Amino acid sequence: MTCDEARLLIGAEPGASTPALEEHLQGCPECARLRTEMRALDEQLRRALAQPPHSGRGRRAAPALRQWALAASVLLAILAAGALWLLRPSDTLARDVVAHVQGEPQSWLATQHVDAQAIATALHGAGVELDLTSDQIIYAQSCWFRGHYVPHLVVESARGPVTVLILRHEHVDGRRSFDERGMGGVIVPAGTGSIAVLERGGGNSGNLEQLAQQMQRDVRWLPDGH
Amino acid sequence: MRNSPPESPVSSITEPLSAADPQAPLTQLFESLRPDLLRFAHWLARDRSIAEDVVQESLLRAWRSRDALKDAAAARPWLLTIVRREHARLYERKRLELVPLEEVVDSHPGARVAEPDDDLFTLRHAIMRLPLDYREPLLLQVIGGFSTEEIARELSLSSTAVLTRLFRARNKLRALCGVTPVPDVGGDGAAP
Repeated sequence: MTCDEARLLIGAEPGASTPALEEHLQGCPECARLRTEMRALDEQLRRALAQPPHSGRGRRAAPALRQWALAASVLLAILAAGALWLLRPSDTLARDVVAHVQGEPQSWLATQHVDAQAIATALHGAGVELDLTSDQIIYAQSCWFRGHYVPHLVVESARGPVTVLILRHEHVDGRRSFDERGMGGVIVPAGTGSIAVLERGGGNSGNLEQLAQQMQRDVRWLPDGH
Repeated sequence: MRNSPPESPVSSITEPLSAADPQAPLTQLFESLRPDLLRFAHWLARDRSIAEDVVQESLLRAWRSRDALKDAAAARPWLLTIVRREHARLYERKRLELVPLEEVVDSHPGARVAEPDDDLFTLRHAIMRLPLDYREPLLLQVIGGFSTEEIARELSLSSTAVLTRLFRARNKLRALCGVTPVPDVGGDGAAP
């Protein structure tokens, strides 16, 4: 792969990872730096596009007032950080997981089983395989999450649909449970990353725990995962 | 029972239906996706009222073609595609791109708003300044979650042309945000 080909792929799909690209990046610090920059830009891009344009709160402050506004905002930020630390409703990863899942409400309404090919496609981008039988999965997409494509699955359970996100690039030290914005779930370590399992409502811990353990057993991490 | 007859899709989409209505799940699904569609249309059109018109018309079209939607899980990309096409039709009819950006921004009551993060403000403004040829594939990718191949099919372009446009879109955003752009690459059918 040439630098032009690498730059094209990095600029077009910053989260992409192919063996040829990875090989090129090993020997090309310039392209490797570009990918780091582009991935950072993409994170910002997703934040920027998460809201409609001009949906802010009031006009930009006049220059004379900006220093006061800055000082006030720093104070507010400190107070907010303190409040957040004290309350600690959930960690950032859990919040992002819930926000992502709530951004795809159609996933809970799926009723048809997804065929094995579609499941394989959703898993392929993240470099994982899954032993779960396809007749349990009613939704399978490869979703962009925190700079990477991750499998987003919905599994049919006796208590209703349960969402599973396989997070190859999100390491957690231990099991974390969360209850956030009407969704309850658990994030467990798996391989070099983690797996999030969640459902609407408070979350039935037994139900989720069982599925999380099954996922820890059944997910196979391929060596060349993205 | 319906609040309005089936021939009136606007009402059937916008008014709540009783649980006994067989179309209620689809109506709820469309409604649940409306904010996403509106956000996508707003970034495409760069104007709130145009975006609302585009989404309303798109939902009407979707409702008329609802039999084509076989799987509820595919509703979001299906509706986003309809919104994009509806915007393209409107764009062709009214040549929306001829409206100067500053005019659009300045006439908007919420324009030049305070952002909690100045970098984010700069980036959002830069996205607004991207030409539609670059903005459209970028929005399909980032908001819609479409793959390069899916974008190529939707825009009737080659995959290489889509890659080039996505590359140039991000490169232009870098430049607009004050970061040195990287040397240009690609060229197959890409927009100027």
